[in-house]
Amino acid sequence: MSARVRLWVFLLACLCVVPAVIHVARRMPEFGAHPLPYGDAINARATRERHVTNMVSAVNFDYRGIDTLGEEFMLLCAVTGTTVLLRGTRPQPLADRPGQVAGREVRPASDAVVLICRMFGAAILVFGLYIALHAMTTPGGGFQGGVIIASGFMLIYLGEGYRGWRGLMRPELLDAAEGAGATLYAVAGFAAMAAGLPFLTNFLPLGQPKDVFSGGLMLVENVGVALAVAGGFAVLFVEFLKETRTEQNGEDS
Amino acid sequence: MSEAVSLLPWAVAAWLLGIGLYGIVTSRNYIHLIGCLSVVQSATYVLLLGVGFRHGAGPPIFYDHPPGTPAVDPVVQALVLTDIVIGATVTALLLALVLQLHRRRGTIDPHEVRPFGP
Repeated sequence: MSARVRLWVFLLACLCVVPAVIHVARRMPEFGAHPLPYGDAINARATRERHVTNMVSAVNFDYRGIDTLGEEFMLLCAVTGTTVLLRGTRPQPLADRPGQVAGREVRPASDAVVLICRMFGAAILVFGLYIALHAMTTPGGGFQGGVIIASGFMLIYLGEGYRGWRGLMRPELLDAAEGAGATLYAVAGFAAMAAGLPFLTNFLPLGQPKDVFSGGLMLVENVGVALAVAGGFAVLFVEFLKETRTEQNGEDS
Repeated sequence: MSEAVSLLPWAVAAWLLGIGLYGIVTSRNYIHLIGCLSVVQSATYVLLLGVGFRHGAGPPIFYDHPPGTPAVDPVVQALVLTDIVIGATVTALLLALVLQLHRRRGTIDPHEVRPFGP
């Protein structure tokens, strides 16, 4: 199909779909006043039933926990696929030089960049842990905290350069964190079954509302998600940054 | 006025979907195409958060105001949350495919890569 034909097919499809979209949009309930029975039911009950104050976490880890299990495995599959596609195509040694464009000199990072990255890298790692651990009380959770922790790793890369960063990032540990996180989530579900309850039933003591350790089994699942997301993103960073290495003479690729 | 405001979120979602699909259809570079796919995906964020919005309601976190105060829908927020994380990793997977394509075929132009081609 040539580019021109493809564009005409697209415009034709737009002609068919746009009136339907307008028709549906005009008949939606007034914006900001939708009936939201499912969300309202959770807002009304979750604090009483599950002793948590963050409704989004209650949905993610309890009321729709099995969806999050599926998402964990999607994450695992995507990271595994990326790793399989990229790993082994570049030399492993840490001594590799960064990729260079011919004729452009590579300057070392300035002291200001190194200082700022060292200060904020550590602060962002702590902030990510805080967000991940306070999933049940205040906005946050394993997904957000995991991504923040992984972005702290990127700041360490900016400050320390590739070699220093790879000295800290052990791929085998990151792989283990990624896999162990998804496994922990699944094991939390099977533990409920071993106790004679349906899959992912929250059978642990629920604790007090507004306490960091409230929510019972949700805490375990949250740790699993945080491990899987932080490990998964860090594995992706390692694999993609490895692609910027240039091969040196005498190295096996 | 009120109807225009009421239609705005759906119009934004439809526009993001349309402009992203247009980019995918006319793309001459797989990295640009993956960027367009992310634009299509962000249409779902706007749509879901628009569905869950409620005038004058607070966040669905009952830490410093008691349960029962009006709050927006937590279900769509949970959906968007996982959507964003999965979208980022799937983008990484697609970019890895592009790297392999470039290594094997020396091109990242969708027009030059024919299905079942040489």
